Amino acid sequence: MAFAIEFFLRRLSQGLLIVLLVAFVIFTLLRVAPGDPIRIILGPMATATAMEETAQKLGLRDPIPVQFGRFVLDVAQGDFGRSFIRGKQGGASGGSQDGAMDMADRAPVMGLIATALPYTLLLAGLGLVFSFLIAVPIGLAAGLNAGRWQQKLGLYVSSLFVSLPNIWVGVVLIYLLSAKSGLLPAIGYRNFAYAIIPAIVVAVEMSPVLIRAIAVSIASNVQEAYFDIGQVRGIGRNRMIYRHVLRNAAVPLLNVFGAQMIGMLLGGLFVVEYIFSFPGIGLLTINAVFQRDFPIIQAVAILASAVLVLINILVDFASTTIDRRLKF
Amino acid sequence: MSDIALTARPKNRGVTARIVAGAWSSTEMKIAVCIFLALALMTLLAPLVIDASATKITVADRFLPPVFMEGGRFPYLLGTDQLGRDLLLRSLIGLRNALAIGVVSVLLIFVIGCAIGIYSGYRGGWVDVVLMRITDVQMSIPVIILAITILGMSRPTAVTVILVLVLAGWPTYARVARSVTLAERQKEYVRAAKILGASDLRIMALHIAPSILPSIAFVAVLDIARMMIFEAIFGFIGIGIQPPTPTFGTIISAGTQYLLNAWWITIVPGCLLALALTSLNLMGGVLERSRNLVLQGKL
Amino acid sequence: MMKTTRRKFLAGSTAVGIAGAIGTSALFNKAFAQASNTLIFAAAGTVTGSWDPSSHTVAPQITAEGFVFGRLTRCPMTPDNPGEILPDLAVSWSQLDEHTLEYKLREGVTFHDGKPFTARDVKATYEYASDPSRPASAWYPGRVDVEVVDDHTVRLNTAKYGYPALNFWYVVSFLPILSADDVANPETLKQRPNGTGAYQYVSTNGDQINFQAFENYHGGKPAIDNLVWAYVPDANTRVLGLLNGQYHLTERLEPEQYVSLSNEAGIKTDRSLSSENKYLHFRCNKPPFDDVRVRLAVCHAIDRSQVLEVVGEAGQASNCHISPVKFGFTDVAGYPEYDPAKAQALLAEAGYPNGQGLPEIEYITSVGFYPKTREYGELIAAMLQEQGFPIKLTTLEPAAWEEQLYRRADGQGPGHIIDVGWITGSPEPDLVLRPNYYSQFALVNGISDAEIDASLDKERGATTTEERLTILQTETLPLIAAKAPSISLFSSVFLRAMTDKLDGVFFFPNGPIDLTQARFV
Repeated sequence: MAFAIEFFLRRLSQGLLIVLLVAFVIFTLLRVAPGDPIRIILGPMATATAMEETAQKLGLRDPIPVQFGRFVLDVAQGDFGRSFIRGKQGGASGGSQDGAMDMADRAPVMGLIATALPYTLLLAGLGLVFSFLIAVPIGLAAGLNAGRWQQKLGLYVSSLFVSLPNIWVGVVLIYLLSAKSGLLPAIGYRNFAYAIIPAIVVAVEMSPVLIRAIAVSIASNVQEAYFDIGQVRGIGRNRMIYRHVLRNAAVPLLNVFGAQMIGMLLGGLFVVEYIFSFPGIGLLTINAVFQRDFPIIQAVAILASAVLVLINILVDFASTTIDRRLKF
Repeated sequence: MSDIALTARPKNRGVTARIVAGAWSSTEMKIAVCIFLALALMTLLAPLVIDASATKITVADRFLPPVFMEGGRFPYLLGTDQLGRDLLLRSLIGLRNALAIGVVSVLLIFVIGCAIGIYSGYRGGWVDVVLMRITDVQMSIPVIILAITILGMSRPTAVTVILVLVLAGWPTYARVARSVTLAERQKEYVRAAKILGASDLRIMALHIAPSILPSIAFVAVLDIARMMIFEAIFGFIGIGIQPPTPTFGTIISAGTQYLLNAWWITIVPGCLLALALTSLNLMGGVLERSRNLVLQGKL
Repeated sequence: MMKTTRRKFLAGSTAVGIAGAIGTSALFNKAFAQASNTLIFAAAGTVTGSWDPSSHTVAPQITAEGFVFGRLTRCPMTPDNPGEILPDLAVSWSQLDEHTLEYKLREGVTFHDGKPFTARDVKATYEYASDPSRPASAWYPGRVDVEVVDDHTVRLNTAKYGYPALNFWYVVSFLPILSADDVANPETLKQRPNGTGAYQYVSTNGDQINFQAFENYHGGKPAIDNLVWAYVPDANTRVLGLLNGQYHLTERLEPEQYVSLSNEAGIKTDRSLSSENKYLHFRCNKPPFDDVRVRLAVCHAIDRSQVLEVVGEAGQASNCHISPVKFGFTDVAGYPEYDPAKAQALLAEAGYPNGQGLPEIEYITSVGFYPKTREYGELIAAMLQEQGFPIKLTTLEPAAWEEQLYRRADGQGPGHIIDVGWITGSPEPDLVLRPNYYSQFALVNGISDAEIDASLDKERGATTTEERLTILQTETLPLIAAKAPSISLFSSVFLRAMTDKLDGVFFFPNGPIDLTQARFV
């Protein structure tokens, strides 16, 4: 127990520092990049004085460290600010051009993220389910049958899937499953059926990593001495696989999951949501970038890196509990 | 003076050679290499052979299907796009650009990542801590977020695209290079070289660097494919190299608007890209398998 | 220039996902439950946080205000009769002298909040909204004094501000009339719209704005009782919703969508010329486009008929810097046509034979807002390259593009050529000409030309509409074409679709929709 507490305290404080640094990097990038959000907030007709006033009011003319400090203080209180562009309705509006901007008319970033998050979670969840459905049978077969056709199949499938750009898979599936045959709906979101094609695209992107990781870790366990010894002792092959190999293979798998898959998933979701106009966090963010809606981009970048960091901590913790040989 | 070092280290050169030899002995590798070389050759030769231009617009020839379909005609082997440009030529030039970006960015990542990793692992101490925390930070930003932030906010060119890819890619290499360096640093030949007065730079460059190659080379091949996919995604979102230069991303994204009346605009170039990527990934996969076998002493 | 962000994706694939969508949506059932008396409009844009019409220049909100507010007059802006003016809140109007217009107001009109409409409302609105500090004061030709003659007569007077009152002749049809009590209390003005129009505002519910027919509308209560404004940002989703009965009316179709919907049973399409022209502006205050010969060389190098072929249903040919629905439009004599030989001659004369010696020329365009900009951008870039112009095409997302569009504080804008459309809801040509070609503004191209300025002042100073028409058509517009601070490529056509059960809808060329005569059949 004490171990666990110490582990979490140490890792969480490290993680917090990382997230802070990420936040600072993104924060600075956004502010040194060309493109003035004030022009977009106030529209083309705004006068120079109105623009300057709004910039002052929003604090966009202060030195970056000052702005960042203010931002961190707000975030610490759970306030990610309000969108520059989106009105209370949540939709992007042309922006009030009425002199200095009234931020009270703008949608809070947390609210926008909270609205979009369930869609992203649905897509991520469904995408993961599909990728496990593809990867577990192929990966297991490949791992247990090193040197035979199953292993080649694993190599071929993963090499092929990893070679299919998600943008292209998305468009091809829209063409085949939706436009051509009308089997499934594709653009936007109105009900669960709208998540299926995007989730397949996510799965095609994710499964190669999974197949490879499963195959490699299963294969290496099967080759280890204990596997043969166990069978010599009379424990059935299936029982060995089920009881021991899977458990021991879970540790490297978890690491792959934490280190690679979550990062990939996050990136994949962004693109897939954009392809399908799926109203999740990714679409929100990509649109925010094009609209120079800093508060949304910052919040998403920070939350995404926090999720990455947190999952890695949890994965490390889970690895240590599964495999007692690893030290905290 | 370096005789001792060299005699203690020939194994590494042998390892790399054995991995490559092992990979080459498989049929998949030969097929993949042939496909890849054929495609690479086509990207170079096609503009000379095909009597059309990738940017030449012929409004009257819009939406022509590939020659094997009804309505298709020469010289448009794979049909034309929404502005009457030859799709085969555009795809090949897109492939050439994608390959160039993939290879250049991976080379840079390889050099920069390994240099930082070796330096970090060799120096240790606070340098190591700071550099590794930077990789933590870098790896905690999803590539796409980094890319849309940088490219979406500035005006994307081939150089900025490569820059983003390098920025996103170097930490992985730095980590691997560092861990190999940590292991190598303890080894006899490094210590011997040090005692014999070799400079740190010389040790890092001549002794440690070559031993990293086997662990990373196949990753680099896979990464070329990965970077090419990113290049396509950037183009699709509109933050890649700008038209009229053909890239897969822009060809596909423009074609999505005509999916019902001219599906080949998106589907055909995608097939070509997928073929090129599959050959690269197959090479990488076989190299990886071969490496594992060699390291396990089975080859 | 007004805009809303809009992604075009898969335009044309109207069949996408119909099977999955039918019968599954709650909204779908609701639409049928409410049967014939609710019209659901799938809008491409939404409104801002403030309902004060003087607070913004946002096209979708102007469309929304079109339902709620009345104006002194209305201009249907048809290409056959662009100068036509019909009564709305004013029943007659006349010019008293160079600086005075008089309007006789309709009697017995009430605002949605029940207060009667009188001359003091006009005075309050015009004096408030023409104040230069109001963001939408750009719509006014300048400040104006309003004299209340009696409860139902007003006089617009511009003497103090030094321009003829005739400039209001057409603009008044674009200026919504607010209640004087609201103007006195800006907070209420912001919170809800209160006009004299056919529909009154009820509530905002997420992405939906609800309106209901106004009992006491002076033109008679409209037949359709309820109007729902549904903000649907994706063009394909709008089309799918229309096909499965979820929406009754939608706007801003892509040309491909329009073509495929035209053949769809149960759907009728509407295609009408807008008040928008699409332009390529040259940055006239830096080389090489500070030389009129180089600008004209570009104009002669562009084959606009090919551009139009690419734009398809969404464009119409016109040889004039203003749209055919604008007052003063004419087929301008000597408008630059495609003529490569002439382009070469001009280039040689300017010292750049075959384009040699020209710096790299950046052509900036947007993608995702106007139809086909990327496609014809590539086409034009290729045509210019053929004549030896070293062109670099930059396509930007609407937000990034808008950031590049206008000249900066130092007077110069980025790049050399930039693509933009200009749309305003009045036949008044000066809403296009002055902001773009008068040296003091020249918002995009930065032209500074004494002759153009003089000509613009001359037409603004004309004391009769006939005189003004003559000056515009024979002097000002040909002069602009000859100096080519920009080239107008074509006039935009707006494409819409609706269920064939809907009748009597009228579309204004800048977006607003007149439902007063609309009914379900």
